[in-house]
Amino acid sequence: MNTAVHTAGDSNPGNARNPGKKPCSTEPLKLLKFAAKYWPLVLLGPLFMVLEVSVDLFQPRMMEVIVDRGILGIGNGGLSDIHLVISTGIRMILLVIAGGCFGILSGVCANVAGQSFGNNIRKACFTRIMHFSFEQTDAFSTGSLITRITNDVTQIQQLFMQAIRGFVRCMMFFVGGTVALLTLDLSFGQVLLIAFPLIFLDVIFVFIKTNPLFSLLQKKLDDLNNIIQENVSGIRVVKAFVQEKREEARFENANQALVGTQFRVELLLSFMRPVMNIVLNLSIVAIIYVGSLRVQDGSVAPGTVMAAVTYITQILNGMMTLAMIFQTLSRGIVSASRLSEILSTDPAITGGSYNGKSTPDINLKYTEDSPASKDPEGINDSKNAEGTDDSKNAESTNDSKNAEGTNDSKNAEDTGDSKNTEAAGSGIVPGCLRFEHVDFSYPGSRVGVLSDISFEIAPGETVAIIGATGSGKSTLVNLIPRFYDPVYGRILLDGIDIKEYDLKALRENVTICLQKSELFSTTIRENISLGNPDASEAEIIAAATAAQADAFIREQPDGYDTAVAEGGMSLSGGQRQRIAISRALLKKAGIIIFDDSTSALDLATEAKLYDALRTGYKNVTKIMIAQRIASVKDADRILVLDSGRVSAFDTHANLMKTSRIYQDIYDSQLKDSDAGDGKGGAV
Amino acid sequence: MSQTNSSVRSSIAERGFRRKSSGQMGAPVEKPKNTRSALARLFGYFRQEMVLVIILALAVSFSVIAGVLAPRFQSQAIDHLVSRSFSEVSGVLALMILLYALHGAATLLQGYLSARLSQRIIGRLRGDLFHKIVNLPVSYLDSRSHGDIMSRMTNDAENVSTVISQSLSSLFSGILTLIGTIIVMLSFNVPLTLLTCSSVILSIWLTKIISELMHKYYVMRQTLLGQLNGTVEEKITNTKTVTAYNLQDAVIKDFSKTSDELTKAGIIAEIIAGSMGPLHNMLNNVSFVIVAAFGAWFALRGFISIGVISAFVVYSKQFSRPINELAQLYGQIQTALAGAERIFAVLDEESENKDGDKNDPVREGVIEFKNVNFSYVPGKQVISDFSLKVEAGKKIALVGSTGSGKTTIVNLLMRFYDVDSGSILIDGTDIRDVSTDALRDSIGIVLQDTVLFTDTVRANLKYADPSISDEKMIEASALSNCDSVVNALSDGYDTVLTLSGASLSQGQRQLITIGRAFLSFPRILILDEATSSVDTRTEKHIQDAMFRLMENRTSLIIAHRLSTIRDADLIVVMDNGRITETGTHEELLDLKGNYYRLYMTQFAGQAT
Repeated sequence: MNTAVHTAGDSNPGNARNPGKKPCSTEPLKLLKFAAKYWPLVLLGPLFMVLEVSVDLFQPRMMEVIVDRGILGIGNGGLSDIHLVISTGIRMILLVIAGGCFGILSGVCANVAGQSFGNNIRKACFTRIMHFSFEQTDAFSTGSLITRITNDVTQIQQLFMQAIRGFVRCMMFFVGGTVALLTLDLSFGQVLLIAFPLIFLDVIFVFIKTNPLFSLLQKKLDDLNNIIQENVSGIRVVKAFVQEKREEARFENANQALVGTQFRVELLLSFMRPVMNIVLNLSIVAIIYVGSLRVQDGSVAPGTVMAAVTYITQILNGMMTLAMIFQTLSRGIVSASRLSEILSTDPAITGGSYNGKSTPDINLKYTEDSPASKDPEGINDSKNAEGTDDSKNAESTNDSKNAEGTNDSKNAEDTGDSKNTEAAGSGIVPGCLRFEHVDFSYPGSRVGVLSDISFEIAPGETVAIIGATGSGKSTLVNLIPRFYDPVYGRILLDGIDIKEYDLKALRENVTICLQKSELFSTTIRENISLGNPDASEAEIIAAATAAQADAFIREQPDGYDTAVAEGGMSLSGGQRQRIAISRALLKKAGIIIFDDSTSALDLATEAKLYDALRTGYKNVTKIMIAQRIASVKDADRILVLDSGRVSAFDTHANLMKTSRIYQDIYDSQLKDSDAGDGKGGAV
Repeated sequence: MSQTNSSVRSSIAERGFRRKSSGQMGAPVEKPKNTRSALARLFGYFRQEMVLVIILALAVSFSVIAGVLAPRFQSQAIDHLVSRSFSEVSGVLALMILLYALHGAATLLQGYLSARLSQRIIGRLRGDLFHKIVNLPVSYLDSRSHGDIMSRMTNDAENVSTVISQSLSSLFSGILTLIGTIIVMLSFNVPLTLLTCSSVILSIWLTKIISELMHKYYVMRQTLLGQLNGTVEEKITNTKTVTAYNLQDAVIKDFSKTSDELTKAGIIAEIIAGSMGPLHNMLNNVSFVIVAAFGAWFALRGFISIGVISAFVVYSKQFSRPINELAQLYGQIQTALAGAERIFAVLDEESENKDGDKNDPVREGVIEFKNVNFSYVPGKQVISDFSLKVEAGKKIALVGSTGSGKTTIVNLLMRFYDVDSGSILIDGTDIRDVSTDALRDSIGIVLQDTVLFTDTVRANLKYADPSISDEKMIEASALSNCDSVVNALSDGYDTVLTLSGASLSQGQRQLITIGRAFLSFPRILILDEATSSVDTRTEKHIQDAMFRLMENRTSLIIAHRLSTIRDADLIVVMDNGRITETGTHEELLDLKGNYYRLYMTQFAGQAT
């Protein structure tokens, strides 16, 4: 029952934002296609089962022969016939052995088919999830996706196997037993007629009563867990305010509420079996009673009554198991629909055909659609891209040009353009990024996060983005690798709409260092070389050194081969960030985005990192989000974002003169340092 | 140190506390290390529910007796049928109905009692565990994974509860049925009883062999399942990185490989498990034939009546069922005991020593550190020879790079940890002589980790003392600028902060924690003022509130903001757990030492 409780609560179908089609009732059935390959097994399983059950059903008759004719000696003048007992006994044993083999074979079929079925669904779901856009992942919520792929798959695998084996088996016992019982003597049917509805009512009653309790139970469990969680992680506050007693009282309340609900559920469930047993036992009495009447009038032998007792036990047991299966079924259907929800959700963001190397017909589109840019340039761009066989090579061969670009870029937006034309002859360096009237709002929310964002960043330029929380900084950079798509407007990378890029190629060219450093539970080395598994030792160390990570990594017990514990918890926030930065640098993309990914570094380390970036990665376009003026002021240009709009985009010196918002931020962070200015000349 | 701790904490909060799921059918049996002692302690919990346990035992006995006796009457009835003495039949049947009714009633009572018993015990067990957890020293929680602690409170407690509710009466009745059946069978016929028993022994032996075989594959399956769930969790949680680095294909390939292996192991394990039923069935039938053949032979010789054979047929079934059940229960009980053991391990931890001779609150607020040494891990000194005296009402700023020991000073002052050597005095009294309650009551604290509780804003603000009047609360929230936050909420002070206040922004949460500190009216104030992810306007609000809070109080600030530092009465520069410089802002700048360098990089934004 516990599993039921845990899954029941995870009722997060993600349809709040409707990530996919609304699942209709037939949708779960489509999952069956994953079992299609195993159809012979799906057929053989029940077939073997039928054979096994037939044996089980036939066996009481042989028992009857043994008792009636062998032991009681009916037809033998009342003398036991031990030879008959033994010969029938041996036949019965052989039959039972055959039955057992059928049973095992049916188990083999059901298991191979069922588990492969589950395995296929699991793999299909996981593959689908891996291609979801973040919007879709968010809509489902990661927690829900995880439960779906673990619990729900197990659930329907169980259901499938039960359907093959249990259901057929129970039905056979149920139907076959009934037929066998009635062929023994029709009068036994009266007993069944009364017993059936009673058991049925019992099961229905318990189900109706417990189902609403399950969700209540889950809620109480969540409440309790939440209190524990709060106390475990907030223990310092609890202790500092000396509120242990109060928290205990709060916990006790939730605990008692949970205990009460749990008691009710358990009580109901615990009553189901005994009630069924009462019905079963009384049925046996009734069978004997009916049997006695029939023996009395000579129509059946006493052995028949014994067989009837065996049959009725089989029938009613079959019925009880059937009831259990229906419970699994109801749960399994929920699981199946949750899984088919995943499978019926098509990845929202799919790539185009442009692989960053060759240029197909996109060219045309570009020139048609783009009102802002000049046609010849566009053509040039793409031709150049064609010429560049590999973006990485391009990077290294164009150092000089980039340096040039960096110098120019400080002036104005057009420099990017002019530089492009300059560079036209020898291949464009990836990293020219252009936003055209981009609007964005999160699905389901009417509030625009970004509106009419237009700007251009030249290759090799370092651009910082600053703005208040909620001004849309993170959202803006998330649009570049197409984690989300703009609602309106477009984003061009090296002159080509990023939607035209093959997703892989795009993300090859753009790397993003996230706000929350996500590390995997493998070695530090592998975490760094994630995006570039072929990187040499020297390259890895170079990246880590630039990210100011080399020193502390070497201090780890096994250096670069130190295993990162679950989620990187063994490392400090700053260390995790620096590993994530190393990873981003090693990927060698044309554009690196730092999404507030240096927040846990102290300014000295941060400054060293920026120095390393300036010298070692000068041809890479760098976009960095930061909170501190001190972190951004050395960028080539600073984009000031205010409530989703570009408020200003200029150098630090110019912004100090022209941008009110920038000055405000500056004042709040650095104004107090007048004394420092005087003495150290810091600003 | 605190940096690490707080980030660990928050990442656990985000990840939840899933222990690798082991709710699978036929999960491998986890063995408790010391079965006897775990069992003995668990019995301790039963002792307090003696009445329930005794009634339960009675109910079980009744149902077992009825269950064992009923077949006896069944065989009598059949005997009567054979001997055609039909008038006797109805009497026997009436007796059977009575017995079955008794049996039914007893099992129903059993169900009720075991549900009640398990819930009472589990409620107490959880309560005890929680009581222990909030009273453990902070070091305990700091040094352990929170996921593990949560899992003890939920999964392990749940396992114990399931076993109590589902297995206890089965265990009772299983043993009783076994004994009862053997006695009744013996009373019928000794040789047939021995025959039946031997077949049962055979079946136990078979079960054992198969279980051992199965165990290997179950363990393999469980390991793979853990691995698979780990992959799923990690990769889906970190989907941004997976996507950003184009790792989807590699991840899917890896996943498919594990998934296939899991399926293979699962199929083998399940097939072995599945063959157990048919094999038992075969054995049972063989046993039946043997009983029937010998029965017939005995009957021919006139040793026994036909009815006895029919009774033995039933008994041989009745006999094997509790044995199978007990075999299953064994696994469950072992798992539960292992869980109970983990719970008891927490309960055995030493609680924080809260006693002290003095219960008086702090009056002046003079803090003095005398040659304090401290290390979290022996050998890794965090605070070395730290001496500092803070006069009442002064503002002290602790400055230093990450890992210099600033937060540790707070941990020591609050007695979250105790000093290794040296002493900390407040108003001249060693804080170890003051009860922790009195000490902590006098100190207000605003942590960088903004912990709020799932409750109304009012309850959160009045956290230190629920009896504070609303007027005072409103006044304090105005002073702490958190009235702006409260007013923006739908129900004002009565708004329930769901999910520990996750709906509020970091800045809003910080303002509420400041308001909360206001309402504890402390003599001494500790501020860890990090607001790295708060925008400038909110930061200004927070800063104003903090300044007001510090008025007339001895304040110890872990300084992140220049303004705080400049206004401090004394700046203490720390490096590697030592005080390197002390003085006012101007004095320290003139010194051109550590502070000057730190100031230049940290606050003025220039790399040196």
